[in-house]
Amino acid sequence: MSYTLRGRLETRLAALVLPLAAAALLALTLRTWWPVELAGVMAGVLLALDLVYDRAIPYQPGWVALPLGCLELGLVTAAVTALGLHVPLLAALGLFGAGWLAAQLLGHALLPLWRLSYAEDGGELGRAGPVLGLGVAVLFAAAGGVWRASLPPTVHLGARVYPGPLVVDRRERLVGTTGTVVLGGIVVRHSDVTISRVHVRGGQNGIDVEGVDGVVLKHVTVSGATLDGIHVRRAAIRIEDCSVEVSAPYAQGIDISFNADRGESVVRGCTVVGGLQGIVTHSSNVMLSHNWVERTRLQAIDVDEMSTGTVMDNTVRDANGVGINCGDRSMCMIEGNRVSGTRPDSAGGNRMRAGYGLLVEFWAEAEVGENDLADNPARVGSFLGSDVRYVRD
Amino acid sequence: MKPAAGSVAIVGGGLAGFVAYLTLLRGGVAAEEIAVFSPETDPAGAWRRRAAAIGQTRMRSESDGHCLPTSFPGLAVREARRRRSLRPLVASVRDRYHPSVADFLAHVEELRSRSAWSDRVVLTRIAAVSPVAEGFELDGHGPFRHVLLAAGHPGHAVPDELRDDPRTIHAYESHRYAESVCVVGAGMAAATEWLNALAAGSTVISVRRREPVRRPLNLPRPYLTKRGLAPFQRAAAGVRAALLRELLAPSYPPGREWDAPLDAAASTGRFRVEPAVNGADQIVCATGFLRGFRHDPLLARLVDEHGLETADRWLVLAPDSTVPALTDARRTLAVAGVAAQYAFPAADTLAGARYAAHAFLHRCRTR
Repeated sequence: MSYTLRGRLETRLAALVLPLAAAALLALTLRTWWPVELAGVMAGVLLALDLVYDRAIPYQPGWVALPLGCLELGLVTAAVTALGLHVPLLAALGLFGAGWLAAQLLGHALLPLWRLSYAEDGGELGRAGPVLGLGVAVLFAAAGGVWRASLPPTVHLGARVYPGPLVVDRRERLVGTTGTVVLGGIVVRHSDVTISRVHVRGGQNGIDVEGVDGVVLKHVTVSGATLDGIHVRRAAIRIEDCSVEVSAPYAQGIDISFNADRGESVVRGCTVVGGLQGIVTHSSNVMLSHNWVERTRLQAIDVDEMSTGTVMDNTVRDANGVGINCGDRSMCMIEGNRVSGTRPDSAGGNRMRAGYGLLVEFWAEAEVGENDLADNPARVGSFLGSDVRYVRD
Repeated sequence: MKPAAGSVAIVGGGLAGFVAYLTLLRGGVAAEEIAVFSPETDPAGAWRRRAAAIGQTRMRSESDGHCLPTSFPGLAVREARRRRSLRPLVASVRDRYHPSVADFLAHVEELRSRSAWSDRVVLTRIAAVSPVAEGFELDGHGPFRHVLLAAGHPGHAVPDELRDDPRTIHAYESHRYAESVCVVGAGMAAATEWLNALAAGSTVISVRRREPVRRPLNLPRPYLTKRGLAPFQRAAAGVRAALLRELLAPSYPPGREWDAPLDAAASTGRFRVEPAVNGADQIVCATGFLRGFRHDPLLARLVDEHGLETADRWLVLAPDSTVPALTDARRTLAVAGVAAQYAFPAADTLAGARYAAHAFLHRCRTR
């Protein structure tokens, strides 16, 4: 078919109706936004591509739909990745595939049957075309309206000191500013809470998140906690660009534990100074990347106790005993890290604390890529039935 | 003969008229409202004779080269269903599907018997269209509010210098091949003649004024949709006529099935191209049809009586294939088939017939 530009766009909109409806239905059923976000990305990418196709493909034989479909899938995937959307792969492929099939069925059979002049009009749908465009726009506008209306309320904390502990027990965006200080900690007891630009000082745990999901901490600063700077139990969390400094004898920087059944937690771009362990996980599924950890007394980064973790592009300095540890039947992927200045810890006579840049112990399994471990007394240690596999590009 | 009446008339019972009739039925116009004027009841009669004369076995058109009002389901779907095979569909999406002439004709026959077409045909050739207050009278039949002229090709074209040569026969007349055959022309009929004459053991001399264009369909594909049509229809009359001359130059499809036999014959001296007719035993004029509205008595009279606008050899039509001077809010005079090329360059194809039929249906339904 030799489509006109309007014909391409209108045919595309007609083909998008089914995936959009499916996405809306999925979003309502699952009470999640990714189907609508995915549908939005699909619509945006595919309609933009139609502008390119119009110039590049004056006549489109039927078979070309196949390579174009692959190209479109690739670009939609790239856009989803670039936008950082969290979309389940199989469901996304299903939605895209259903949309592609619907487009073929519509373009080759249903639209020509419905509209006699479909072929000679170059895919244009007459008066139905603008109505369709309006319908799709209204659908997205409605979704956007619902999204906005369903955003958690935002609480702004001004630049002063707030006595704590502060308990957040509803969906909320807690937004501070330079000079916002909460004394005695923040306790999160509800899902879908975002805390940003707040300095937490003191408290047993600086920020305590337990039994909830969808919690995001951005640009938070924690100091002076007596146990954990950020303490996470049975909760999926995303921590970005935080700063944690602890100095109490039993304090740890960030402790994420027992969330293996709650989805992946992410710690990215944080600076952790001091503590027994800088970042530690137990029985959790984690992604630890681009963090800076220094001056810890036990391990700087510890993926432990049957955790599954990716430890990537982190910098560890001046740890005592061990830099990065993968322990106790955990499965780790360790790549792109730079560990230096690890000191041997001779206090207990433990050979595993001889200043290893990377230690894998107690039946843990580690896939180890390129890491810079040169500036340590010992580079890689493997103890007690552990398995280290080296992966090179 | 009892004068026919109704609101819609189709003048011409060939394939273009048949497509229009089926389209009107699909659009909700009752069969009783439609009168078809034609000298014969077989809508494929003329086409069948021509295809048989040149020994054509495959259509140049693709899956949608049929008489139904919609492009889907096409003949590929029909064949896939019949053969329980996906091969016709795969060939169709690759633009490699060309239905057999037998399949096409069987489909026409099936549609004819299903649509009560024969009951609507008035066996006569209309000589004059007379505008009246509420429509048009057709040789005393009517009046009809909406009339579609689909009279078909006005006759075979034979070069003047060959007309009286006893060796000459037109490709579309039944013929066998002599020992040496000179084929004049360079289009689809000529190419078919080359291959058939070679297959019959003849030596073939191709005489042509220009090298044939090689393309899958009669026209570049964008001209079959609004993409190519919109700029064409916006062009000034002179430009449009010049473009039509260029677009309608002789052509036949590319492909090994055409080239291999010619190459093989050329290598053994059984096929060659020459600038003029020479001493061959037989001259086959694959030179198509008489071109232009002047050769169609009905159209020529209409133009002369009403001073209709023309451009070169073409009758000037609106984009919806109607005659502007004789069409208004109350009545429609539209043209389909070869005479409608000014609106749709591929008007003498099945896609062209559908184009005119869709526009005609729109007029019939909304007025």
